[in-house]
Amino acid sequence: MSLIRATKLTKLYGTGEAAVTALDRVSLTVNAGEFVAIMGPSGCGKSTLLHLLGGLDRPTEGSVEIDGKDLTKLPDTQLAELRRRRIGFIFQFYNLIPVLDAQENASLPLLLDGVRAPAANGKGAEWLRKVGLANRERHTPSQLSGGQQQRVAIARSLIADPALILADEPTGNLDTRSADEIAALLKKVSSEWGRAVVMVTHDPRIAAYADRIVFLKDGTVVDETRLTGKVGTDGGADSVRARIDALSK
Amino acid sequence: MGIRLTLAVRYLRGRRLRALLTTLAVVFGVFVIFGMNILVPTMKDAMQSTLMAASDKVDATVTQRSGEVFPASMLDTVRSVPGVRVAQGMLSRPVNLPAHFYTHDASKPDRVSVLDLVGVVPADAQGMSAAALQEGRFLTADDTTAAVISRTLADSVGLRLGEPLLIPSAQGTTPVTVVGILAPRTEPGNERVLVTLIEAQALLAVPGQITSIEADFSASSQPERETIKAAIQKRMGPGYILGALDSTSSLYGALNASQIGFSAFAVLALFMGAFIIFNTFRTLVAERRRDIGMLRAIGASRGTVVGAIVIEGLIQGVVGTAIGLVLGYLLAFAGTAAIAPMVGQYVHIRMGAPRVEPGILIVTIVLGIGVTLGAGLFPALSAGRVTPMEALRPVETPSAYRRTIGVSAIVGIALVAVSLVALVSKNVGLLALGAVLFMIGLVLVAPVLVRPLALVFGRVAALLFARQGTGTLAEGNLSRQPSRAAVTASTTMIALAIIVALGAMTTSMSTGFLGILKKGLGSDYIFVPQSVGVWQNNVGATTSLADRLRATPGVGKLTSLRYAGAVADVASAGAKGAAASSTTSLSLMAIDPATFPDVSALSFTAGSEKAYAELAAGRAMIANPMFASSAGVKVGDTIPLETVDGPRGYRVVAIATDFLDAKVQTAFISQVDLARDFHRTDDMLIQLDLAPGANAVAVGAAVKGAGADYPQFSVIEGRAYYEQMAALFRAVFSGLYVLLAFLALPALITILNTLVISVIERTREIGMLRAVGTTRVQVNRMILAEALILSAIGTAFGIAAGIYLGYLLVSAISSAGFPSGIFTFPWQGTIAAIIVGLGFGAVASIVPSRKAGELTIVEALRYE
Repeated sequence: MSLIRATKLTKLYGTGEAAVTALDRVSLTVNAGEFVAIMGPSGCGKSTLLHLLGGLDRPTEGSVEIDGKDLTKLPDTQLAELRRRRIGFIFQFYNLIPVLDAQENASLPLLLDGVRAPAANGKGAEWLRKVGLANRERHTPSQLSGGQQQRVAIARSLIADPALILADEPTGNLDTRSADEIAALLKKVSSEWGRAVVMVTHDPRIAAYADRIVFLKDGTVVDETRLTGKVGTDGGADSVRARIDALSK
Repeated sequence: MGIRLTLAVRYLRGRRLRALLTTLAVVFGVFVIFGMNILVPTMKDAMQSTLMAASDKVDATVTQRSGEVFPASMLDTVRSVPGVRVAQGMLSRPVNLPAHFYTHDASKPDRVSVLDLVGVVPADAQGMSAAALQEGRFLTADDTTAAVISRTLADSVGLRLGEPLLIPSAQGTTPVTVVGILAPRTEPGNERVLVTLIEAQALLAVPGQITSIEADFSASSQPERETIKAAIQKRMGPGYILGALDSTSSLYGALNASQIGFSAFAVLALFMGAFIIFNTFRTLVAERRRDIGMLRAIGASRGTVVGAIVIEGLIQGVVGTAIGLVLGYLLAFAGTAAIAPMVGQYVHIRMGAPRVEPGILIVTIVLGIGVTLGAGLFPALSAGRVTPMEALRPVETPSAYRRTIGVSAIVGIALVAVSLVALVSKNVGLLALGAVLFMIGLVLVAPVLVRPLALVFGRVAALLFARQGTGTLAEGNLSRQPSRAAVTASTTMIALAIIVALGAMTTSMSTGFLGILKKGLGSDYIFVPQSVGVWQNNVGATTSLADRLRATPGVGKLTSLRYAGAVADVASAGAKGAAASSTTSLSLMAIDPATFPDVSALSFTAGSEKAYAELAAGRAMIANPMFASSAGVKVGDTIPLETVDGPRGYRVVAIATDFLDAKVQTAFISQVDLARDFHRTDDMLIQLDLAPGANAVAVGAAVKGAGADYPQFSVIEGRAYYEQMAALFRAVFSGLYVLLAFLALPALITILNTLVISVIERTREIGMLRAVGTTRVQVNRMILAEALILSAIGTAFGIAAGIYLGYLLVSAISSAGFPSGIFTFPWQGTIAAIIVGLGFGAVASIVPSRKAGELTIVEALRYE
């Protein structure tokens, strides 16, 4: 069953002669519980696609439907509410609020939704435990490592029970070991906790954790592959890397 | 609400230093407004109660509207009104005492500085006054030099029954014998001296005159009493008022003027505060763009984002206002304590405890919190416009930015142009508005000018720091962020513009005042009364003093000034500016047109010296600019003055002022007119010149000897008086400069803020510079150069703006009637501004440069 359906998304930056086409009629469907990786060379439009899917930016043309609602037509307040309740975001630089502790950062979407602090923080603590950060609740972001901060961000993205998690280069700022741990955690988010995950990455090893990989080049989808092999093995990554090499030729 | 409050509190806690500095800006504004607006009303209160203390609780008190004397025969008129049971005429006047009058010891502070001299008819007074005698007897009709005094006075001076009390009088000093002592009272004004009416009239040289009639009624119901009061008023006519004396005093007017001045100063302080808050919130929003973008991405609405920042402003506003209120009260408390002895001695007013009017409390709270919220609101709203996209990669949009600064620059130029038009108008209100518009205009224009100015000052800095190339780096850093640099430079500009402008004002005013002083009080000797601010409390001298001086060999030309309070009906003269009430109180200074021009002089703004001759012709006046401007009086107008015989029209023949009365509405008339219409013949101030070739030492001794018999006057040499006044002016103005520096302090906070933020922002860049071999010292120098360039821009702007504003202020003040003279270039203010501006810039760079120097290279490079 499709959770999110993007149809013929086009995004232009600038106007007239200087206009740059970031996305050119891209269509994409993601099912509930599916883990999709979006790959491609720099400037191919993968981040733009992610922003449009999350309603962070509006397309020049085309539509994005979540739960049958067209995001491109929602007013700002309803869009904010939808992001709060149905979509979770994970960023490359974690983007935690420096003056709040881990538990408060994790429970932020609930607090924003009007849930009382004790209940929200309780849930925050629960999610921190699930992502492997038990006993780190009172630490502020500056007291956590990069990998730990990203776990807090993942807990934050999951706390409101969203159907869709959008991750923009979630491992881009991490060392190899932490990156693998985060990728495995995202895999768990889709396979065990049943959320759809759309992840932008340029790292074939990380993309190999996904169920499906979509390749973008110059703003269009040029290839798509479903991974059936064992998750996270070098073989999977190699085949992904081979595809990317082929595309960039 | 919950999450907004949490975010606001956490951000404030997370950035303690900045929160503290911003709050300080609010504290300062509130502190000045509240403190000054307690202090001045407390002084006014003290004055009123001193004036009121004379009147006892009776059914009705009738006085002349001007508070001046009137014929005792009016008593019969009051007595003839049905329902008046008993009425007594009184002559009551506060009498200022010369310093150390009773102690004869300059080292001891005076415990009594003013007497409350009351002349009563003994038979009437005993029946009416509830004042209980504690010792001795009351006055009798045939007493001549007897007095009943209050217990406090007796204790202060150390007098017992039967001992003599010296009283300054129109004849010099007159001793009276204490025959009775009254029980102490709780109110101020305890230094009461009761003498017989005839004795009082003689002491004050106003035979047959009284100042008030007290009446008790036979009726007790309120409506009946009102009827009796109305009947008295009707018989007495419009020249008289029922009830206590109005606050028509000249000092009262001066106090009102100073309160307005302080309020203006406070508003400027608050304007600065608002600007600092605006600046802080702007940088804070810029700093948190990524946080805000993330909040928006994970579903925070615009309202939540705006709300969190507004709450942050609200917390700072509330805390800052609360602290400001407390400090303001303490200021008023300390101020009252500090000036009470001074005020007691020189103005002869006893200060009470500071009094807080509920109105000023509310206004201050509303202003303090309102300004903080208002200043924080625009940055908060702009935070609401941060898109979620910015969480991912914060991007500057230079094209949009340039468009905005283009628009504001045009608006700014328009505002400056409008303010120039205001300059031409010569209207006080328009000039004040023009000053505000000019400031706002400059703030708007500043961003456009930062880049070229940074380039110019950057060159200078590059020369200074040539070897390291740090100056060039610093200049580049500033040009990259022109808007933030502009805000910092603008704050410095406003602070310094205020310094320079007020400097220009004070310099021009002191030049103006001293010029008039030299002209008017340039005679060889001056007999000055105890208080030149409150003429009505001074005891003058009969013509016997002037006669004796004239007869002294070696004394040349001599002239005197006499005084009476008056009420002018300005509305019937067709004057504008008297919408609410048609009458205004006025000081009348009477001169002898024949001798005055020989010894003294007025400074004319309209008309000429020929006006003296016109005064001699009768019922003509020279209005001072204060009176002319506030009541809209012109040469050629005829102004009716209330006299005991009904209104008398005085023709305005010139506009001119002397030194002593410049701050108060005053008209100069002839002494003949004053005697005929206002029944005053006592000399309040005498000026004399030595005859040519006279032995200055011998004559001076004779003159001073004459003065010793009239202790209510201080005899001073004209030149000494000028020097003394000039020194006083200099002291006051140097104090003012300290106050101004205090006002500039917030600018330091802003420069500091900007520099700290720019260092934090460029942590990585600094790490890179250090990695490629820049030394700590070089990094420090780069930041110092940045600070100096920023403050140089601000200082240049500030001086330019300050000179213009100063010109506006001087024009505004002279059109309000103060003798501000011509605009004098404020050298002192300009030099002070340069020192303060550049000094603050250097001081502000200390914290951030140390911070930058402390960064370890690896950490700095890892910072994102």
